[in-house]
Amino acid sequence: MRNVMKTAAGLALAIVLGMPAIAQDKLTIGIMVPTTGSEATYGQDMANAVNLAIGEINAAGGVLGKQLTSTVGDDGCDAQLAVNAASKLAASGVVGVVGGYCSGATIPTLKIYGDAKIPLIIPAANSTKLIPENPGNAFMINSTGNDQVAKAIEYFNGKGIKSIAIINQGDAYSQDLADLTKKNWEAAGNKVTNFEVTNKGEQDYSAVVTAITSANPDAVFWTAYYADGGLLIRQLRERGYQGLIAVGDGSNSPELFKIAGPAAEGVIAFSNPTAEFLPQAKAFADAYQKQFGAAPGPYSTLSYDAMKLLAWAINTAGTTDSAKVIETLQGANFTDTISGPISFTPEKTLARSNFVVLQGKGGAWTLAQ
Amino acid sequence: MTIFDIFTNQLLNGIVLGSFYALVALGYTMVFGVVKLLNFAHGELYMVGGFAGFLLLSFLAPYLGPGWFGVAVSMVLAMIAVGFLGVVIERVAYAPMLSAPRLSILITALAVSLVLQNGMLTLTKGQYVPFGAALGFGGVRLGSLFISYNQMVLVGVAGALMLGLELFVSRTQYGRAMRAIAVDKDMSRLMGINVNAVIAVTFFLGSALAAAAGTMAGAYYGSLWYFMGFLIGLKAFTAAVIGGIGSIPGAMLGGLILGLLESFGTQLPGVGSEWKDVFSFSVLILVLVFKPTGLLGKPEQERM
Repeated sequence: MRNVMKTAAGLALAIVLGMPAIAQDKLTIGIMVPTTGSEATYGQDMANAVNLAIGEINAAGGVLGKQLTSTVGDDGCDAQLAVNAASKLAASGVVGVVGGYCSGATIPTLKIYGDAKIPLIIPAANSTKLIPENPGNAFMINSTGNDQVAKAIEYFNGKGIKSIAIINQGDAYSQDLADLTKKNWEAAGNKVTNFEVTNKGEQDYSAVVTAITSANPDAVFWTAYYADGGLLIRQLRERGYQGLIAVGDGSNSPELFKIAGPAAEGVIAFSNPTAEFLPQAKAFADAYQKQFGAAPGPYSTLSYDAMKLLAWAINTAGTTDSAKVIETLQGANFTDTISGPISFTPEKTLARSNFVVLQGKGGAWTLAQ
Repeated sequence: MTIFDIFTNQLLNGIVLGSFYALVALGYTMVFGVVKLLNFAHGELYMVGGFAGFLLLSFLAPYLGPGWFGVAVSMVLAMIAVGFLGVVIERVAYAPMLSAPRLSILITALAVSLVLQNGMLTLTKGQYVPFGAALGFGGVRLGSLFISYNQMVLVGVAGALMLGLELFVSRTQYGRAMRAIAVDKDMSRLMGINVNAVIAVTFFLGSALAAAAGTMAGAYYGSLWYFMGFLIGLKAFTAAVIGGIGSIPGAMLGGLILGLLESFGTQLPGVGSEWKDVFSFSVLILVLVFKPTGLLGKPEQERM
């Protein structure tokens, strides 16, 4: 018996010691997205898109002559889970990480990847609160809240809107967007009639709706996610609010129409470019559909581009040494994407705004204008 | 809108919201009064009630229509179904623990809450479910105040249910037994009261009221999801404490007060929606400071 145990222990040791040797002929990419919890569907869409890109890169010869493989860390859209996932990925010797959907969950992971000197490409999370926390290794390829606010204000001005009500949910993402909008909107000499905060999961918005309808602004801007946004839009319209309703990119989901019903007709959404609105994304969408049996999600395109960008950076740097890869990324002018060219500001955010304006029509989003 | 119009509108909002809080708070308070258990799974019964009402309505709508009649029948059936679920939960999870330390049963209640919530998460895959009732948008306009028929029916049904419960507890034999058990369980048993049966009835009624609130919320707000019971459970518990936990009129009053505080808090300058919860919970603390048993709670008398 003892001998059997010894052999088993020896075998286990051999496997553990042997692991790095086996891993060396492959480069591992970490994927950090929520695969459980309320945002799990988005996370899965993102992980799928990264894996699709890896498959294509491998078919074309891999990176530095090596094949890529991926490992997923589940951040659950939760700061604590995200820290665990990031530590695990950092410890598993990944050459780079693609991930970050929820801003609130992504912020505490930046230091972990920074300390481990792992290049991080963030395809979705776009709160401006990420910028000062960035130790220098993280690159945001989704336009930030600043760009979204600029787009929103440009749209409001174009519609002759003078006064708006802003509603958020008090989390990192929606509050950031709301505060920025308020600041810039008022700086331009316009009026914010209401600045409201609601609880996540609340069903009754009647008090807020009365406060808004009594002030009667030209437009209402909801900066949080679709789930509660749908209920708010419905209650606003039921109580006879006639003005424009606009929502941020967190509400850009077909689910909004299920919840709000006909009330969502004509609602404006500011959104990052999703596959269905990019003619050049057709091949990507078809390949995605073929491999995963579903249409790509709202952040799939950016996740796919993020993986392509990381592979390009490692190939161009000619090494997986993180300092060189980060330097390459900083100077990137990468055009082999489906969401448009990628280059970075000194703050390591996307150098251009990628926001488009969508409008609800017949229970689906269509390009506005 | 003038200040007066805003006032009447917020009053109406507060009454509607308060009716939901009150219905859910009643279940908390009844169960606490009889078995001294804070049933943290109660908010989840509201959620399950909403889904039960939705399922029943989708079965019944082809025969009864998705209007008032269909919703009413679904609500009654959902109340019965969830009432029995409440009894099953009591039998399986709470009954074996009734003589254990209070803390153990409290944790059991939390566990039941997680089981129900995550069970529904798995069943619905976290998706929102549109309720599918068609109640229309008609109503009566009084100046700038628009009261929809939905709101009238909702408040009316909530009021009728609460009145029915009050009559049940004050006039029937079971109600008398419930009050007796609340005072002294062991003595009631010695007096020949079937304590277990009465506890089962208490759970049935509390859960049925939560299911009624859940179905009405689904029909009124238009959608359901697995997490909808959490916040209202918390708020209803607060309402029950404001009114005096264990007191049935207290739960109704507490629900109404909390609903009104939230509505008016949203409109008050310096409070606003950002601080409305701070505002209403400050009131809770004040109530507890000056009247630790809640507004209508009776001080506990220890007789030697």
